[in-house]
Amino acid sequence: MTGTAAPTPRIPIAPHMQVYRPTLTMVMSIMHRLTGTALYAGTVVFVWWLVAVAAGRVAYETFLDVFGSVPGLVVLFGLTWAVLHHALGGIRHLIWDVGRAHTYPWREYLARANLIGSLTLSATLWVVFYPW
Amino acid sequence: MRAFLPLNFGTDTASWVAKGKIWNTPAGAKATRVFEIYRYDSESGRGPRLDVYHIDRGSCGPMVLDALIKIKNEIDPTLTFRRSCREGVCGSCSMSIGGRNWLACTQRIDDIEGSIRIFPLNHFPVKKDLVVDQRHVLAQHQIIQPWLKTAKPAPEGEWLQSPEDRVKLDGYYECILCFSCTGGCPSYWWNGDRYLGPAVLLQAYRWIVDSRDEATGQRLDTLEDPFRLYRCHTIMNCTKTCPKGLEPAKAIARIKAMLVARQH
Repeated sequence: MTGTAAPTPRIPIAPHMQVYRPTLTMVMSIMHRLTGTALYAGTVVFVWWLVAVAAGRVAYETFLDVFGSVPGLVVLFGLTWAVLHHALGGIRHLIWDVGRAHTYPWREYLARANLIGSLTLSATLWVVFYPW
Repeated sequence: MRAFLPLNFGTDTASWVAKGKIWNTPAGAKATRVFEIYRYDSESGRGPRLDVYHIDRGSCGPMVLDALIKIKNEIDPTLTFRRSCREGVCGSCSMSIGGRNWLACTQRIDDIEGSIRIFPLNHFPVKKDLVVDQRHVLAQHQIIQPWLKTAKPAPEGEWLQSPEDRVKLDGYYECILCFSCTGGCPSYWWNGDRYLGPAVLLQAYRWIVDSRDEATGQRLDTLEDPFRLYRCHTIMNCTKTCPKGLEPAKAIARIKAMLVARQH
């Protein structure tokens, strides 16, 4: 044995997420994932509501107390938006998957329509159905 | 909008970029432009750094590649980058310029505001400065067997193709394999070891739709894989960053559709 093996050099990887200029479609892709993840938590709320309905008046009033409060209403509005945003995102992906709207500016319009559509629909639903 | 993360983000300290040398402003320059350029030399024993160069715009050509050549000729001959044709057909000078990937030879300096930040193609291993190691992505390119595969005996002359069938290759045969799209694909950043990436998949589609090719089924078999093809989540960075104006995301969508269609 002569000498010692040189330490393996650690090759750097070129910077990626740190230097890439965020694009709308890229941010929308992240939001599709985030809303999808939020819906898992939202399912727990939905199940809680179902159980409360089945369990009777006391359990249901507890549910009403929690989600009738301001933080509770914020969560419910957030869930409304997450459902609608994820659903519209699914339609956006269907359109892209059949090969439509890949060109500029249609892909940007589609991403914007997804965002504006989900916010508008959520607000409309709450304005119409919430007893203000 | 600039990237919102700090430059040195994550736990891979070998890839962190240190502050580098600030080279002097050229004397008598009327309009200077600032270039922040990624530097790395494996023989220096140090990690990557970001050098700052000041270029006299008045005595520099219009493209980013002109500025790089000017730096190499007049300021710092150690700056290393790939380039060849200087007119957007060879694909050598693809790099991250101002937060997206483009060919340095077709990217106008004046189209970028403020200081111009230049990095090697995102997430590729760096050999030196702006030169990246393409061995992995070229090996992936070999997987899709990018050549005409036929079973029939070869004709006396050429393999003929009708004009209608030839049109199907438009938008796909123009790819110059600069890998701007692959470097800009977040899915490739996270799963590049197994995901083939937009450039290779666009090439795969180019051979799948070629009417002369007789290995379509075999080609689709190669791609029917959770990682090779289906890590594409239609983020669209590839299509936006293609300096040839091609649509890799559409090619991938078409492959996915063909895989569904052949089940029925």
